[in-house]
Amino acid sequence: MQEIALKGFGETVKTVTFRIRRYDPEKQELPKYMEYKIPVQMGMTVLDGILYIKEHLDHSLSTRYSCRMGICGSCGMIINGKEKLACQTQILELGKDLIKVDPMGNYGIVKDLVPDLSNLFRNHEKVKPYIIREEEEPKSEYLQTPAQREEYAMFTDCILCGMCLSACPTSATDELYLGPQALAQGFRYISDNRDLGFNERLNVLDSKQGVWRCHFSGACSEVCPKGVDPALAIQLLRQVMTTNVFVKFKQKGTANAPERKSVSGVS
Amino acid sequence: MTIENKKGWISWFNPFKYGTDRWMYALHRLTGIALGLYLIAHVWETSNILNGPVTWNKIMVDLDYPFGAHYGPYILSLILLVAVYHAMNGIRLTIVENGLMLPKPYRPEFPYKAKSLRGLNNLLKIVLGIFMIVISIVGVYYIFTGAVL
Repeated sequence: MQEIALKGFGETVKTVTFRIRRYDPEKQELPKYMEYKIPVQMGMTVLDGILYIKEHLDHSLSTRYSCRMGICGSCGMIINGKEKLACQTQILELGKDLIKVDPMGNYGIVKDLVPDLSNLFRNHEKVKPYIIREEEEPKSEYLQTPAQREEYAMFTDCILCGMCLSACPTSATDELYLGPQALAQGFRYISDNRDLGFNERLNVLDSKQGVWRCHFSGACSEVCPKGVDPALAIQLLRQVMTTNVFVKFKQKGTANAPERKSVSGVS
Repeated sequence: MTIENKKGWISWFNPFKYGTDRWMYALHRLTGIALGLYLIAHVWETSNILNGPVTWNKIMVDLDYPFGAHYGPYILSLILLVAVYHAMNGIRLTIVENGLMLPKPYRPEFPYKAKSLRGLNNLLKIVLGIFMIVISIVGVYYIFTGAVL
């Protein structure tokens, strides 16, 4: 049985051309494409292909990777025109003889396939991705039922790969836009019943470059490797913002809802 | 030294490889720009009535027979399609962008197909698509024959 399953494993199935966009910061040149021919074995991912090039063909190729199994979110890149994690994309499943690999868009390029994700982390920091309470030191545990956890659990799966910002057509032209990742995390903390920081986050989320900049093209949810569905989070966040104008937003699980200081910031 | 790698406005019109919503977004942008340009032309066209009936009639005929043939109704039909698409998708976006007709937060399961782009959102697309087709047929029929279907 095992022999059948392993049949053909380790043998070269076909040769595939990788067309990789290269950029060397030490040379005063614009990025250009370079082609490499690599033998493909069964079960070989795009990341394996890139590492093969690095080992055998061109040692100067740079990429960023860590876990090789879709957990760390380091190897996001544009493969044949769509954002994908290189470690999760099988070469044979793509079914093409030419595989075009680009670094993620809407970020700076540090070198070759390494994007400069500082913008992503800055935006993530802006929405205060931590639980905000009035007291400095917690006196006891903050209680939460499994049902209350379900209300935001899916958004905690974000691995910060940054592919949503690369796919987002709004981020393509607006540098200040918070982006799907940060907005989804904002919603995740607002809908957490232990959190009281709604008003503190309001001026960041409820701004021109915040939640209202989204046009719901759904590209972020389409490319998300963990099924976080940031587009859903943004629309639900909008619902919170619009209802907040008429009905005071009550944070679930808290005895007293936080005071609504101002809604004049709604634009 | 890092360099910029913005996709730029050209990527608005690059919905290939993404889903239906991304296509509709690109079309919405395109139809929006087309309608904006049409509106300017429309204001210019109707303002010609200030120049008297002779000029007005001449421009009406010129617009009905551009490039020497009777293309007027075809152009008008195209504008109608553009407007109807923009209106129908606008209705959908107004509903969906307020968080209505979307699923509650759920547990993602392996193929990781986003539910916000499917389910009731898809139903809305189909229903409004049918509306769009019906309105277009009635409108185009009226443009070509002058009779209400």
